[in-house]
Amino acid sequence: MSLRIDGDIARLEGEPRVEDAEPLLAFLQGGPGRGVDLSEAGPLHAAVLGVLLALRPALHGGAGDPFNARWLLPLLAPPPLEGDHPSLFTE
Amino acid sequence: MSDLLDAFLVEARELAETAAAELMALERAPADAARLDGLFRAVHTLKGSVGLFDLAPMGAALHAAEDLLDAARAGQMALGRAAIDSLLELIGAVETWVEEVAALGGTLPAAAAGRAGDLEASLRALLPGTKPTGGSSPAAAGPSAADWLAPLLARAVAAEHAAGRGVTALRYVPAEDCFFLGDDPMAVVRALPGLVALHVAPRQPWPEAGPDPFTCNLVIEAVVAAPGAALRPLLRLVADQVRLAELPPPAGTAPPPAPEAAPAAPPRALRVDAGRVDALVDLAGELVVAKNRLAHLVERAAGADPALARALAESRAGIERLAEAMHRGVLGLRMVPLGRSLNRLPRSSREIAGRLGKEVAFHLEGEAVEADKAVVDGLFEPLLHLLRNALDHGIESPAERAAAGKPRAGRIALRASRGGVGILVEMSDDGRGMDPARLRAVAVARGLLDPAAAAVLDDDAALDLVFRPGFSTAGTVTDVSGRGVGMDAVRTAVEALGGRVALLSAPGAGATVRLTLPQGAAVSTVLLVRAGGEVFGVPVEAVAETLRVPAPRILPLRQAEAFVLRDRTVPLLRLAGLLGLSAAPRGEVARVLLTGAGAGRAGLEVEGFAGRLDVLLRPPEGLLRGMPGMLGTALLGDGRVLVVLDLPALIDGEGAG
Repeated sequence: MSLRIDGDIARLEGEPRVEDAEPLLAFLQGGPGRGVDLSEAGPLHAAVLGVLLALRPALHGGAGDPFNARWLLPLLAPPPLEGDHPSLFTE
Repeated sequence: MSDLLDAFLVEARELAETAAAELMALERAPADAARLDGLFRAVHTLKGSVGLFDLAPMGAALHAAEDLLDAARAGQMALGRAAIDSLLELIGAVETWVEEVAALGGTLPAAAAGRAGDLEASLRALLPGTKPTGGSSPAAAGPSAADWLAPLLARAVAAEHAAGRGVTALRYVPAEDCFFLGDDPMAVVRALPGLVALHVAPRQPWPEAGPDPFTCNLVIEAVVAAPGAALRPLLRLVADQVRLAELPPPAGTAPPPAPEAAPAAPPRALRVDAGRVDALVDLAGELVVAKNRLAHLVERAAGADPALARALAESRAGIERLAEAMHRGVLGLRMVPLGRSLNRLPRSSREIAGRLGKEVAFHLEGEAVEADKAVVDGLFEPLLHLLRNALDHGIESPAERAAAGKPRAGRIALRASRGGVGILVEMSDDGRGMDPARLRAVAVARGLLDPAAAAVLDDDAALDLVFRPGFSTAGTVTDVSGRGVGMDAVRTAVEALGGRVALLSAPGAGATVRLTLPQGAAVSTVLLVRAGGEVFGVPVEAVAETLRVPAPRILPLRQAEAFVLRDRTVPLLRLAGLLGLSAAPRGEVARVLLTGAGAGRAGLEVEGFAGRLDVLLRPPEGLLRGMPGMLGTALLGDGRVLVVLDLPALIDGEGAG
């Protein structure tokens, strides 16, 4: 298990795998104001990313993994107010 | 100098072809900016390379075309029918000039200047006045995103290209059930080198109740600074779920030092003389054959030293794998997209239809399917014959079509696809179709068949009559499709490429000609059989089954023999007899290979099977050429020559004789 529940925060650690997606979903849907901490997470499985993209929980801490920090955090940020497309180029 | 000229000729032919294809596409979709850009690039590059030689009239005409396209790109004019006609005429002239330049060693014939001048004048006449004709709102209005975004993106792509990296966009839609197959699409994305942009979005809106964690509902889009060829190996396991688009280096944005003087280097490839590739193909083929010799050695070693034989066998397996991979790779060098031949046809269709006073919409798909260069090049002639036939005899005149309740413009579709072991090319029209009854009558009138034989032909066989030499159903002879030499020439040409032709048609509903062609000249697997004391090869595709039939179950049948297999009587022939050799006496069991299908199924008795072998099949040469029933020869591991038999021809020959 790469999912550790810490109060209202789900901490994803190491390499979250496909079997972490379902408990993560259950936790995030289990109550209001629940968030996720990706700072200790390495490569995220697509199933886990799907849950995060669908629910867009609050993110605590940054991302320790450079790929997550550069490519995934922008996608998981709260949707911009005008509903724009995310920028295509991040540099 | 001559090297430069050679390179120019090759490039000019390709550019002219590209320009023509883009023009044809623009005629169908005039608003397609990418096509317009492609056309402009081709004309611009062509003009640039023409400037290197003493071909001023050609350069001037191309310059006029470039100005015209520039105006169209700037939105100052639309490319109407007149402009497209003039441009096509110019490209046609360029193709003629290129061949004349090739023949004259670098100069144009004197007559070209006049023609070029006329073309230049007609193109210039189409240009709007030097000033845009009023109402140029887009530039005056505030900068909309389209004005600055495209150049920005183009610069980003150009920077990657300048650094020697290709840029590829990819769209990856993982299968919904991919998690159950153990796929992790994000792991695939992580492994991509040089990610420039990434976007992940749901394929379907997320359900209100939250996502299903076991279903993959993602669409992944990315831009990667790597050529498609570098990405394909990484994406091979999900190739069916990914679409790649290589972004071409943008034209005009990165100002090269002297764009007029330097002929733009062809972006995609290294030009290698086809002869060298062929030599490599031959060598790789010989390597495959040479590795067979090892099998022989392993067998001999097995008797003397089993341990050594095992080690040899292992090493042989490795060499075999490498030799085959190399052979495939080298054959791949000769693979070219079918577009090389197919892209020329829309233009021919337009010209021919124009001459016949008919209207036609030409639909082309599958030009990216690849096949051996010889197959692709050899395909153009027969397809052109088929196109002429379809336009001349198939598609009715606009008035006739209107009376039959069809749209005025006929429709011709040319589709290429990969099918089974080879490629499939189909040309269909929605014209008047062919009437089997009329074909039978014509065959009788031409003396090709006697009335009794014609009456028993079923409809499929009647359609097949059009492929007989000397058969023509055209009421009148036209200058377009000639006098009925078309269809049998098509069959001959396609069979020479190792393919087959079939015709499907219904009266009033058009006709479809289906060409099945091999994708490449590959190594073939043969089954070794013994007959008359000698060993022969039989292509494994020709063998449906091998059987051991007990002698008492073989029934005499007048002069021949037969046996019953799964409630069906199958005629039994002796291979040695077919080959004119004396057969060894039959033992208690006959060894039989089953060939053909349906009513054509037959058993061939051989004296034994001697394994299977990969061989490089060579067409029969010299004295052996024209020998019926022979497919070719192959060199065996021990240096002997193996004769490979054409079973259907052998058996047919027996039936006829």
